[in-house]
Amino acid sequence: MAEFLNILAIGLLLGGIYALVSVGLNLIFGVIRVVNFAQGEFVMLGMYGAFAAQTALRLDPYLAPVLVVPALFLLGCAVYWVLLRPLQGEPMMQVFATFGLLMVLENSVLAVTRGVSFSVGSVLSDTTIAIGPVQMPLARIIVLAAATVVAAGLGWWLRATMPGKAIRAVAQDRKAARLMGIPVERMYMVTFGVGAALAGLAGCLLSPLYSMSPQIGMNFIMPAFAVVVLGGLGSVRGAYVGGFIVGLTEALAGFYLDPALKHAVLFMVFIAVLIIRPSGLFGVAGAEEVGLREQS
Amino acid sequence: MKLTRRQFGGVVAGAAMMAGTRGSFAQGGPIKIGAINPYSGAMAQYGDEVTRCYELAADWVNGQGGVLGRQIQIVRGNATSAQEGIAAIEQLVGRDKVDILAGTYVTAISNAASESALNYGKLYWETNALARDLTDRGLPNFVRSGPSSNEFASRAVEGALKIVAAKLGKQPKDLKAWVEHEDSAYGTSIATEQQRLLKEAGVGFGVGSHSARAIDVTDSILRAKNAAPDIWISTAYVVDTNLLLRAARDQGFKPAAMMLCGVGDTKETLEALGKEYLEGIFVVSYPRPDVSEKYGPGAGAFLKLYRDKLGRDPIAPQGMNAFVGMKMLFEAVKAAGGVDYEKVVKAAAAMDKPLGTYETGYGAKFDAKMQNTRALPVVAQWQGGLVKAVFPTEAAAEGVAVVNLPRA
Amino acid sequence: MSNPDTRSAAPARTGVRTLRHELPVTLGVIAAAGALIAVFSGDSFTLNILATAFLFAGLATAWNIIGGLGGQFSLGHSVFFAIGAFTVANIYLKLQISPWLAIVPAAVFSALLGALISWPVFRLRGPFFAIATMAMTEVLLSLSLYFDTFTGGSRGISIPFRLGVQNMIFRDRMSYALLMLGFLAICLLVMAAVTRSRLGYALQAVRDNEDAALAAGIDVLRTKLTGMAISAALTGVGGVLYMMYVRVADPPTLFSLFDIGVKIALIALIGGIGTVYGPLLGALLIVPLENYLRAELGGSVPGANLIVLGVVLMLTALFLRHGVMGALRAGALRLFGARA
Repeated sequence: MAEFLNILAIGLLLGGIYALVSVGLNLIFGVIRVVNFAQGEFVMLGMYGAFAAQTALRLDPYLAPVLVVPALFLLGCAVYWVLLRPLQGEPMMQVFATFGLLMVLENSVLAVTRGVSFSVGSVLSDTTIAIGPVQMPLARIIVLAAATVVAAGLGWWLRATMPGKAIRAVAQDRKAARLMGIPVERMYMVTFGVGAALAGLAGCLLSPLYSMSPQIGMNFIMPAFAVVVLGGLGSVRGAYVGGFIVGLTEALAGFYLDPALKHAVLFMVFIAVLIIRPSGLFGVAGAEEVGLREQS
Repeated sequence: MKLTRRQFGGVVAGAAMMAGTRGSFAQGGPIKIGAINPYSGAMAQYGDEVTRCYELAADWVNGQGGVLGRQIQIVRGNATSAQEGIAAIEQLVGRDKVDILAGTYVTAISNAASESALNYGKLYWETNALARDLTDRGLPNFVRSGPSSNEFASRAVEGALKIVAAKLGKQPKDLKAWVEHEDSAYGTSIATEQQRLLKEAGVGFGVGSHSARAIDVTDSILRAKNAAPDIWISTAYVVDTNLLLRAARDQGFKPAAMMLCGVGDTKETLEALGKEYLEGIFVVSYPRPDVSEKYGPGAGAFLKLYRDKLGRDPIAPQGMNAFVGMKMLFEAVKAAGGVDYEKVVKAAAAMDKPLGTYETGYGAKFDAKMQNTRALPVVAQWQGGLVKAVFPTEAAAEGVAVVNLPRA
Repeated sequence: MSNPDTRSAAPARTGVRTLRHELPVTLGVIAAAGALIAVFSGDSFTLNILATAFLFAGLATAWNIIGGLGGQFSLGHSVFFAIGAFTVANIYLKLQISPWLAIVPAAVFSALLGALISWPVFRLRGPFFAIATMAMTEVLLSLSLYFDTFTGGSRGISIPFRLGVQNMIFRDRMSYALLMLGFLAICLLVMAAVTRSRLGYALQAVRDNEDAALAAGIDVLRTKLTGMAISAALTGVGGVLYMMYVRVADPPTLFSLFDIGVKIALIALIGGIGTVYGPLLGALLIVPLENYLRAELGGSVPGANLIVLGVVLMLTALFLRHGVMGALRAGALRLFGARA
């Protein structure tokens, strides 16, 4: 029983990691329907940003978002404006363009670091909280808490504020949104920027957990897509819950079956859900088509 | 880049001729050695380091007048996969006209590249690739100067028995081990041999494998923790090794001894875990410049050579092994009187140098498949933020002894 | 999804172009590719590049049948490639049967697997389909590392060097270049035949508007499955040739998302999606460029070659949406369009 509780806790904390990593992708892929394969690289840049902030300014990685989040917002806006704006409504071209971006970002970091992997330390990163037999590293609890706060905040923002409503309107029907006086292109750009900024935040908060390598973004991207699609495109709550489903699946399969098989189990579950319910667990049926249909 | 390299070659050739040194060849130019390694992608860091140390060895021998009166020139061939290995051979042999090929940080690349080299009748001098299969092929142009995966596995098991079991006062049959490995060719081949040797010694063990790309490896650590081993032996790459150690720390997994194979002895692991946590963790690695001068004569000189040229310490232990491999190649070429692969292989087969000849403590005695039987890794230990060789005992520098066993 | 190539799909002329019209062009292109080999005979460095280029041209052509004509953007074709490679390795090493004979079972296995795993996934459209195929690659990679009897596990399989035509193992690069040319020729002929067949038109109809195709009486699922099976079979044959060419392969290499799955789609994209000869053009541009960059840049700054390739990819997506073929056709149209 103690063992089961422990593995459950590990799965939930891992779920927090996935939820945090996916929240930006949910905005970019789920809401404005841009297929961004470079999202994992934004997380990677966030990690290296935290490293740079620590090396140059002796900043704790938990304070690094002050610098990294705005920087990635600007990068996201620039990427959208230059690379993705001309590819509106052409999802397959977006796949190739963002794959190109992924290659450029990953290898630029490789060229600069020559492949040496870095680590950052925080005053908090070595602490573990024990509740009975369950061991929970503080750094992971912080990630889980951050994922919860960000998901709640984002949900509220999309639901209740004017810019949030505008974003949803644009996603549903671009033409009608434009007629309502919404600056469509600018809304897209800002949304993409926010999505990149959230990836940067995730990168900063994850940096104390990992040794960085330029390839680490690739490790995040497939599970992140699984989370977003599993939860239901555009549903903030869905992506949050999706993160836990993926985290728990992985932890349980890893512990009770075999760690070497957990990826196979995870992606089989993902494909199964995708086939049975393409709109995801929390998505509206048919919603997966929204924004991907031809629009003018 | 290309031009300057050629100009450089020309200058060297000219200098050699003016000095009146005459090789036993019609052409008096430099001996060109093609270095096949990954210089981009995930393995770039180590591929680069291996070739840097070939260049260091070339500088060193050129400073002494070269080999057979000819200068040595290293030409880089970039390959990150087997298919690119073939392309790199075509480039190096067809375009750059190299005489000998050497490498390789990745086994699969070596496998394909060495066969292609045979098509051209060129020697393939392997210094670093680990898989046993490479020499088992019996390729007539293939020689491995460094240890194979089997030597790494056997050193690890030897360490488990002679250091850990001895210190804990346990018989092998009472010792419990856990063999953790990454599901790569490298991790699997070392771990498979470890399991065979542990079984042979009567040690009970559990096995776990994980993906190097896993976001979380806590499940692997909990499985190991449940088995309550005396020694946990892990073979993985840098990033996942660090992740495993972090998870072990977080989960309070404290076996009496922890041992890492192949990696985990660099600054990258030190920065990730800190010296307090690492204190006492064993590392099975290529002999590093910290071995005693008696065990590896010239190791200190190598370190100085490296520092003088690159202005920093070696980033990985693969470097000195590559340097020594090059030195052996130079000796074999000298003995053969040329670069013809049959003659060089024959000359290498005739080599008989005792252990403790080279900087890494290696000797040179090749078996029928041209695997150097006197190239052995050492067991080192993290002590006060530094890695120090502790086994075999002769390798340990003065005053170095095993610490923190069982782990506090 | 917008249609990348409406002009060729819906000709303004009366009557439907059939294979009879296409065949002379196809044979001409194959002869031209053969001439390239003749020109560079004796230059084994270039011949090796040509062999790789023809292999990838064939793979991209095969991908183009389902990806270009059918509009199903699979990024998981490395699965069929791997099946082909492992099939030949097992048949040759365990049953001692010539690799030439292994081509048939490899094609059949790949086609069956292609149809089997696509069946459920074809419910998905556009990027969802692409993501599902990537997830499929991950599943099969994990499984092939774990269950190692067929694949050799993480160590992979290596085939000993036993020279001989019957073993499909040669010493010279010329033979490999010719072998890959043969593969390319088959792929081009199949592509030409499919393009000008009932199936080809049905695939294009499905690509342009699935609902309309359904309304027009096309069996959408069956059309997609047939297209996928043909595409997978050819990709499997490519896997056979790759295995015998490199003679050492492990699951991470064969299932590689980047080096196989995305790359062949990318070559088709750069050449011209949905066109018969675009993928060949794409491969002849990309493979030598890749080789050159790797040799010239990769050695000095790690990753520099891939940075340049990434930029090329982005520029193609932005400015050459219909590939080089599309650009050529647009240019030709501008020059001669007024008179035609």
